[in-house]
Amino acid sequence: MAVILLPSLLAAEAGGRSRFELEAPSVESALRQLPVADLLFDEHGRLRSLVNVYVDGVDVRDRGGLAAPPGREVRVVAAVAGGTGACARPRTRPA
Amino acid sequence: MDVLILAGTRKGLFRLHSDEGRRDWSLDGPSLTGWEVFHAVRDPRQGTLFACTNSPAYGATVHRSRDEGRSWERTEGLGLPADSELTLERTWHIEPGHASEPDTVWLGAAPGVLFKSLDGGESFEAVRGVLEHPTRERWMPGAGGLCCHSVQLDHSDPARLYIAISAAGAFRSEDGGETWTPANKDVAAGFLPDPYPEVGQCVHKLLVHPARPERLWQQNHCGVYRSDDRGRNWERLDGNGLPSEFGFALAIHPREPDTAWVVPEESAMNRVSCDGRLGVYRTRDAGASWELRPAFEAAWVAVLREAGASDSLDPAGVYVGTQSGSVFVSPDEGENWIEAARQLPPVLSVEVSAWQ
Repeated sequence: MAVILLPSLLAAEAGGRSRFELEAPSVESALRQLPVADLLFDEHGRLRSLVNVYVDGVDVRDRGGLAAPPGREVRVVAAVAGGTGACARPRTRPA
Repeated sequence: MDVLILAGTRKGLFRLHSDEGRRDWSLDGPSLTGWEVFHAVRDPRQGTLFACTNSPAYGATVHRSRDEGRSWERTEGLGLPADSELTLERTWHIEPGHASEPDTVWLGAAPGVLFKSLDGGESFEAVRGVLEHPTRERWMPGAGGLCCHSVQLDHSDPARLYIAISAAGAFRSEDGGETWTPANKDVAAGFLPDPYPEVGQCVHKLLVHPARPERLWQQNHCGVYRSDDRGRNWERLDGNGLPSEFGFALAIHPREPDTAWVVPEESAMNRVSCDGRLGVYRTRDAGASWELRPAFEAAWVAVLREAGASDSLDPAGVYVGTQSGSVFVSPDEGENWIEAARQLPPVLSVEVSAWQ
């Protein structure tokens, strides 16, 4: 059982619920069960570029991607800044 | 009588309420917080509110309310078909369908696409005639993206409708949206090597006159135009007394086909009101001349393409929303102006409804 935590805008779109408890084999499977799945994935099934997903506090990209198991907690966070690609996700903190 | 302004902003939707006098306004909102509301409209057929809602993170969608904005439902799964290889970018304009088609709703969006709903906005399907238009490869996005921002009906004939896309130009359909003909003859595209191409014009707003549906008006990147033959030919009008060819907002009188209002801006490079004043220019002779009906000085403000409107009352009201967060109202066709709201988030759109 994984806990899925949503930010405020998505919670409003999910009928006011910010927390879901789901059984799912993967992070992607868990996210697709949400009533806001269409806001997380575009019409071609891709995770939107400014949606970040953390599994037990670690960026899902560092845990094998969306196919990874969901762990105990999956947290959805909109990217703080705009942009796409590497510039939007620095791998190291600036000094 | 209830008069309602729907002001879509960068930070949700605001509603302003007044009566027939349109001098005292009460502010309600925001709703749809967290969403950028590019356009919102009250469907006169059932009273449903529709809003084009966009999020940098969560994409583009449509919200609708059947209880005057107390609660909202989202159109789920809005998107473009896989074979198009296009991804929906933003929703721009909602247009309720013809009175004889009570469940039809049209939606203009980016990248240069039109959707049609047959179930009152619960679901939308992309219109193939626009998606696969043979001139699409010659379209290019303007500063706001390849936006289909104008969707206009001919209320005398449900088979005829118009769209305008920046920068693709205006298009007319005579068969309910199946096929689309470019309608850009003699409309300038001064930013292209061929200044009068078949398509590629940067229309900023296009309106069809409700009382004389063969008459169209457009504010373009390169001038203000009027057509009296359903867009087959256009006459340029901004040389007749406007301080600039450039602007976005356009409003037309609900009954008098010769009366329109525009809000010129300095230039494409300096998108603020001309000469340091928020000036609404009015014509009463179909664009043969324009007169300034200044609202406020000193004002260097910007008015976006959806942020001009008129109402159906007598005298007609004129409405302008600014990127600096004000909504200006003239209850008497431009003679006098009231600042109905100020210090809102940047106003993206203004629409007005009046009903008993």
